[in-house]
Amino acid sequence: MTNLQLLALLPFMVLATAAVVVILLIAFKQSHTVIQVTGFFMMCAVVLAMWFVRDTLPREVPPLLVVDGLAALFTGLIIFSVLVVGLLSYIYFEEREENPKEYYILLFLATLGAAVLTISRHFISFFIGLELLSVSLYALIAYLRNRNNAIEAGVKYLMLAALTSAFLLFGMALIYMETGSMEFTAIGNAITKSGTSVLFLMGIGLIVVAIGFKLALVPFHLWAADVYQGAPAPVTAFIATVSKIGVFAVFVRFAQAIHLHENALAVTVLTVIAIACMIAGNVLALMQQNIKRLLAYSSIAHFGYLLVAFLSGDAGVGAGVFYLLAYSITLLSAFGIITLLSTRRKDADELSGYRGLFWRNPLMAAIFTVALLSLAGIPLTAGFPAKFFILTVGVQQHMWLLAVVLVLTSVIGLYYYLRIISTLFASPPLSPAKEKSLHPLFYAATYTSLVVLMFLLAWLGIFPGFIIDNVQEFLVIR
Amino acid sequence: MDISQVLFYALSAMALGSAIMVVISRNPVHSVLWLIITFFAISGHYILMNAQFLGIVNLIVYAGAIMVLFLFVIMLMNLNAETEPQKNKWLKLAGVVAGGCLLLVLVAALKQAEVKGKVAMLETGDIGLIRNLGKALFTDFVVPFEISSILFLSAMVGAVVIGKK
Amino acid sequence: MLIEKYIYLAIALFCIGIVGVLARRNAIIIFMCIELMLNAVNLLLVAFSKMHHAAAVAKGATAGIEGQLFVFFIMVVAAAEVSVGLAIIVMMYRNTHSVDVNFLNRLKH
Repeated sequence: MTNLQLLALLPFMVLATAAVVVILLIAFKQSHTVIQVTGFFMMCAVVLAMWFVRDTLPREVPPLLVVDGLAALFTGLIIFSVLVVGLLSYIYFEEREENPKEYYILLFLATLGAAVLTISRHFISFFIGLELLSVSLYALIAYLRNRNNAIEAGVKYLMLAALTSAFLLFGMALIYMETGSMEFTAIGNAITKSGTSVLFLMGIGLIVVAIGFKLALVPFHLWAADVYQGAPAPVTAFIATVSKIGVFAVFVRFAQAIHLHENALAVTVLTVIAIACMIAGNVLALMQQNIKRLLAYSSIAHFGYLLVAFLSGDAGVGAGVFYLLAYSITLLSAFGIITLLSTRRKDADELSGYRGLFWRNPLMAAIFTVALLSLAGIPLTAGFPAKFFILTVGVQQHMWLLAVVLVLTSVIGLYYYLRIISTLFASPPLSPAKEKSLHPLFYAATYTSLVVLMFLLAWLGIFPGFIIDNVQEFLVIR
Repeated sequence: MDISQVLFYALSAMALGSAIMVVISRNPVHSVLWLIITFFAISGHYILMNAQFLGIVNLIVYAGAIMVLFLFVIMLMNLNAETEPQKNKWLKLAGVVAGGCLLLVLVAALKQAEVKGKVAMLETGDIGLIRNLGKALFTDFVVPFEISSILFLSAMVGAVVIGKK
Repeated sequence: MLIEKYIYLAIALFCIGIVGVLARRNAIIIFMCIELMLNAVNLLLVAFSKMHHAAAVAKGATAGIEGQLFVFFIMVVAAAEVSVGLAIIVMMYRNTHSVDVNFLNRLKH
């Protein structure tokens, strides 16, 4: 391994160091606040490291890793999401009586797992990155173990994730048998030479099962609502953004390398999955009274939209990245509000708890409203150009069925998002005053970041061109 | 039929038989013991294929460490045949039918596939020796090796966080 | 040894694992059956590694070594997964005094 290759991996090393630093801080009995602030600066250091190595890209670290523009984009998205999740975690966990410090170790290690996924181009790094993410997530989901729901969610996620990783490995083994290689591009070369066989397609199918599980695509979505509801709110935000971004990144790289879009069977299957996601996600969300479950179903629908971009092949990658960015910002601000409203005993996940929020706390209601409008894809919010770009590439690739379903299901989606918004502005019930025990500084920091997120949503909604140009610039680095 | 073929069939029968016993034993302790026998049979297969390092690691890690951990947990909870929850007959049947269907599909796919004539080398080839594996592990595959050490860190922290009272 | 025989064996073990996952309610047994499935895959990978080694032994002395390294990593990961998984199952037992997965139905719509 040369120096330049090591240099390209610098951001990932800093990320790993962050976890070790947190362990050391815990060993020296530092307070939660110190750990939180250090973690924040370590994440900033990761961003700096990425800035520092930007000129050396793209860099291959054969045979397993490649740090290119795609990886940089997705890793940047992941680090950004973790910055916000970390900030939300402080308020959430400081209010819980349990010791929250080890949480940050697991958070950073799970982030490292997702980041490794974005740079992997080999089955071994794919698998290890995925498992690093999963193993950390098992513990994160069950972190508040005194609440029964957390354990139930943890056991469900554990069993299903372990089962799907067995399927994933079986699929990888079949592909290894057919092509004699585990490296994505070598697999692609092997199948262009010899064509696809039954066992190879079966291997691809099993890998799609595993990826579908991690992305909560229909019909592998059954865990999503329960885990979203049972996990602590910041962890739910983490699952909805970071974990899915990482898995999506490796899926994009894998599909590009093996030319998945040229395989008619795979395209048909993914089209059916995308349509099922869009319909099932939106329909299941319609009658939902629990905000966390509602966001789970809505994220199923959103990944259905994202699959439309994915199915468009190389042209859709830019639109997909923009969509993920808009989706992450939106979900993070929505979960930020849930975190702020959560109390010591339970998360604020009942819709009735949001009744008349506007009259109690106009700022929160405004942020939540913008987030929901963005999820619904209303113009002037980030959700609109994101959906528009996906629709454009879908139409360009003549995927009419998908485009029509996308538009129709978006209309259904509008109904339940507007239902929540109308709840926010309804006349308030007599609400018990919420005790505020924390230092106001952290509330200020959280509010500030949420307001920044809100303005980002509006900015992306009004001037998407700047970001899309930058995304395209990154994507050519390969 | 030479000795390695006899060994192959004997080990396969042992693996399959004890795997079935894992599933149908009512007592969880017996399940663990049958699973250990399965792992021994699979280790035997590895050694037959001259993958000696993996054969030994399989015994040490799986049969030695992981299964003992399972055994500890089962004994800690004092699980036995009487406390074992049972699904009703129809759900069990449905499970068996679903597994059987998957088996049929996979076998049918394998019949379609062109794997005829390809062989796995038995008793020869030295890629399974510790020297060659170690060389590859610490040159080309050193990054995932380091990442897996971080994975252990994560597992350790996770187990401690969840396990402590 | 013909490679199909190994594939048949591995498929059979994998499906026995799946039947166990579907037909049992004890969380620990389900977890053990998942380990059985992982072992079936390991056996498959080693067999494929030896197959590719046999096919390409002329090209390079270490052809097919990836398969065995992957098995090594799978074992590493399985050990880590089991340690966290059993911790979660123990915690579930402490809360519900049972390892029955059917007790897990509190999360409702």
